[in-house]
Formats: sequence, C-alpha cells, structure tokens
Amino acid sequence: MPSALRAEGLTVRFGGNVAVSDVSLALAPGEILGLIGPNGAGKTTLFNALTGYVTPESGRVSLFDRDITRLAPHERARAGCGRTFQTERPFEELTVLENVLVAAFLHEPRRSGAERLARETLEQVGLGDRADQPAGDLNLARRRRLELAKALATRPRVIFLDEVMAGLNPPALREMIAFVSELSRKGLAVLMVEHIMEAIVELSDHVIVMASGAKIAEGAPEAVMRDERVIEAYLGTD
Amino acid sequence: MRTHLLGLAAFVALGLAYPVLFPSALTIAITILLFVGWATAWDVLGGWAGQVSLGHAAFVGLGAYFVAIGVTEYGLAPWWSALLGMAVAAALAFAWGWLTFGLRGPYFTLSTIAFAEILRLVAINEGWLTGGATGVFIMTLPEPFGLDLFDRQTQYWLALGFAVLVIGIVVALSRGRFGYALRAVREDEDAAMAAGIDPKRTKLKAFMLSGALTALGGGLYGIVLSFLEPHVMFYLLLSVQIALTAIIGGRGTIWGPAAGAMVLIGSGEVFRTTFAEANLLIYGVLILVIVLFAPRGLVGEATRRAIRRRYAKRAQS
Ligand SMILES: Nc1ncnc2c1ncn2[C@@H]1O[C@H](COP(=O)(O)OP(=O)(O)O)[C@@H](O)[C@H]1O
Ligand SMILES: [Mg+2]
Repeated sequence: MPSALRAEGLTVRFGGNVAVSDVSLALAPGEILGLIGPNGAGKTTLFNALTGYVTPESGRVSLFDRDITRLAPHERARAGCGRTFQTERPFEELTVLENVLVAAFLHEPRRSGAERLARETLEQVGLGDRADQPAGDLNLARRRRLELAKALATRPRVIFLDEVMAGLNPPALREMIAFVSELSRKGLAVLMVEHIMEAIVELSDHVIVMASGAKIAEGAPEAVMRDERVIEAYLGTD
Repeated sequence: MRTHLLGLAAFVALGLAYPVLFPSALTIAITILLFVGWATAWDVLGGWAGQVSLGHAAFVGLGAYFVAIGVTEYGLAPWWSALLGMAVAAALAFAWGWLTFGLRGPYFTLSTIAFAEILRLVAINEGWLTGGATGVFIMTLPEPFGLDLFDRQTQYWLALGFAVLVIGIVVALSRGRFGYALRAVREDEDAAMAAGIDPKRTKLKAFMLSGALTALGGGLYGIVLSFLEPHVMFYLLLSVQIALTAIIGGRGTIWGPAAGAMVLIGSGEVFRTTFAEANLLIYGVLILVIVLFAPRGLVGEATRRAIRRRYAKRAQS
C-alpha cells in the first residue's frame, strides 16, 4: 500500500518550547487517522508543520512519496493537501459561493467550471441554499461546513480536519460523521484532530495520542482508549 | 457581469454626450476622468488586494516623464513612450513589491511614500535627463493620425478612453481566478494559501498592473499639462488624493473609485470656485461624513446592502 502522507521525526520548536517532538506518522489513501490529546499537546502545530504553515526544526514530510518538506503552504495545497482551520476563517466579505469559488479555481481555471465545482461542493456539505449569503453572517455549524467545502473544492488527496466537530449539536454531529466517513470511502486520506471521542472511535482506522508535543500512544481506537498512559495524560493535565 | 457591462456602456454614453453638452468645461472633465482611471487602477492593489499605496504619484510621474522625454529628447512616438513608461512602471512595481511585500500592516504603505520620494529626488538630481527642478516643457508633439494632442477635445477623448480601459480591465478580472485570488489574499493570506494561492506573487501581479495603468494615465497627464516638474508629478498630495478617491468611493468595488472621482474631484472644483478660502474645510467635512457614515465607501455600502437584501428576499420566498 503506498502511503498518501508520511512524516518522519517532525520536531517543531517555538523559542525554548518544544511544541512537537519527534513525531512520525503514515496514512494510506482511504484511511482515517485520528489525532487526540489534551489542549496544548501540539496537534494543531503538527497540522501546521504537515501543511507548511510552520517550519519544523527537523524531520521530513512526503505526499505520495514526493518530498514536500520544503514546500510553502500554497505549493502543498497544489500538491494535494487540503486543510481546515481550527478557528474557521471564511473570507468574510465574500459570499458563501465566492468563498468556495476561490478554492475551486485551483484546478478549474475557468469561471464556468469553477462555479460548477463550487456549487456541487456546497450541495455536498449541505450549504447549497446559502450560496449567496455573506460568509461573515453564517453561524458556527455552517462556518464549519464552509471550511470543509473550501478544503474539498481544492480536490485534495489528503485532507486535514482540525476539530471540525467541536460545538456541533447531536444531529449536526451525526451528519458530519457520516460525511467524513463518505470522504474516506471515496479514497481520500483523512487526518483529523478531534476531542469528540464518539467521532474518533467511530471513524478512525488508527489513532495517535499526543501529550506535551510527543506521541505517547497509537493503535486501534478502542485499544488506545484503554491505554493507561492515555488516561493519565487526559486526567493529569486537565 | 451583465450589470457591469451595462454600467460601462452607460459610462461611455455619458462620456460621449458630455463634450456636446458642456463644450467649455472639458478641463475639469479631463481631470475627473484621469482620477477615475488612476483611482480604479490604484484600487486593483489597494482595494482588491488590500495593499494601500501612498506612492502612486510615482507612477503618474514616471508615465508623464517618459512621454515628455521620449517625445522631446528622443523623437519617440507618444504611444511608444507611454508603453515604455508602463513597462518601466511595472518593473519598478515588481522590484519594490519584491522588497516590501514581506512587510505586514502599515509598513508597506509607509514604504510607498519613500518610493515616490526617491523618484522625485531622481527627477530633481538627474537634470541632464529630466530638466531637474526646473522641469520639462512639451513644446511640440507629433500629430499621429492627424490628432492634435494639444487640443482639449482630443485630450478629453483620450482621457475617456483611459478611464474606460481601466474600468473594463477591472470588470474583466473581477469575475475570474485572478480577481478572486486578490480578494482572498486581502481577506486572509493563510486561508488563501490553503486554496493554493501564492500571496506574494498575487500581490506583485496586482502592483505591476496597477502601476502600469497609472503610468498610462500619467503619460496623458503630462501631455495635458505640457509642463512637468518633479514637485507636481511625484507629489505626496497627489498620491493621497488618488488613494482617498478610491477609499471614499469604495475599495474593492468596480464602480467605487469612479464614483469617488466624480464626487471628490467634482465637488472639490465646485467648492473651490464657490467657497474660495473655506473650500478645504468643507472638503474635509465631506470626507469625514463619508468615512463616518459609509466606512466601506459610497459604492461599498450600497453593494453590501444589495447583497443582504437580495439574499433575504430569496430566503423568504
Ligand atoms: N505560533 C506559536 N508561537 C508560540 N507558541 C505556540 C504557537 N502555536 C502554538 N504554540 C504553543 O505550542 C503548544 C502546542 O499548541 P497547539 O499545537 O495549538 O496544541 P493543540 O492543538 O494540541 O491544542 C502550546 O504550548 C502552544 O502554546
Ligand atoms: Mg488545536
């Protein structure tokens, strides 16, 4: 099985503070990798190192066996990394459709093609009827879906989801879980950070647990949840 | 898109009718049209890409000097001189942007003031080329296609052509990939990168296009004045006026800068003739009122309201 995404020995330091310490991971197409850990564990920073937003002190990242360690974020997006941001960042002055259009232009340089792709993607995430609304006016759940639509419209091969389920009410949560599961069924490799254990257990093929920047456990979701180091990490820091 | 093309057609129709209706008021119309073009060109960078420049007089001066010197010293046709000026403007924009787009926030803006100031000093000190502080006179101009370029009427048509060209370019790019890349970079560079957009490259392209178009108007301005001196051409106040025109009219909107030019330059002229000494005060109050009650600019507020209203209506039905 070729790996869609592979990271080896990633270390990120902010001044004297080691935010990510020697983390390695591998992800196959169609696989869902769940990343959990207490607040401040370094999950978002790891995402940023994988997608090019922070420069790691050491380590390598490759996408379908292509070394992308030195690529800038926009180059990684072109190579197939799609990402959401933990604090959603819609282009507030643009409409919902235009937000997705920006992303759709990546592989559809013409307006007609890009608009078709953007509308399809909005339908997919259930925002079809919101296309003409200013993005700044959306509520939290819809902003999350817009983040997802923006990431998907770049036609990624690996998608990074940073807490897209946080704060959703139960029905919205069920929808989101079904949606992510569908993405992986279509062959997309999914790396997701999530605090909602229900989603992690149900979706993940594999789970990595981080605490204080380091990987402290990994394996199948149920096994990891019973791991004592994991329980301690959660109880110890909270 | 269709509305903007209709708007452009209306603008052209108005422009065609004007000299028939007000044949004795061409000079003010030329000034307004130059500002329509400059403010719209400024807005490609300042509004669409969100990088506020206070140095666009540099491009005005560059265009004007290239036409004046090209025509009087080297016998070049005015068109070629203007094209050359545009190319050099684009090259300088590239170089300056390359150096300064790493700066975030107000530092890029401050650096553009220095940019225009440097060009002004060059124009003063390189007297062998530019006539130094005394300036350059354009005494004779060739008559391409039998056009008398000193004739106000001819200048008016050229100014109208310039304004229409710049607005037309903005209409064309507003719907396409580049137009959306500009807006995305303005709103959030990190999120733009997630969509595969290279912020620096996008800003450089905007700066080059904006500078080249401003220089084209500058070349025409030089012909209209037919006398160039560094203190007028690279004047900070001119830079500020261009920026203010676009901001008051509505940054990042197609018709905002044009509306701003008509309101500001038009009313500035009226105030100057009717209120004499008090004109600057009244002008200032006008600007203040717009900034307070329409912070997105005249057209900016109107379009945002229209979008909200259209969406609300559709959501109800
Ligand atoms: N840009 C930054 N500069 C300095 N420190 C940072 C930065 N981003 C994150 N950190 C620090 O790195 C650690 C990991 O943060 P983060 O990756 O956001 O954790 P998580 O997403 O797991 O909650 C925290 O101690 C945080 O304060
Ligand atoms: Mg986080």
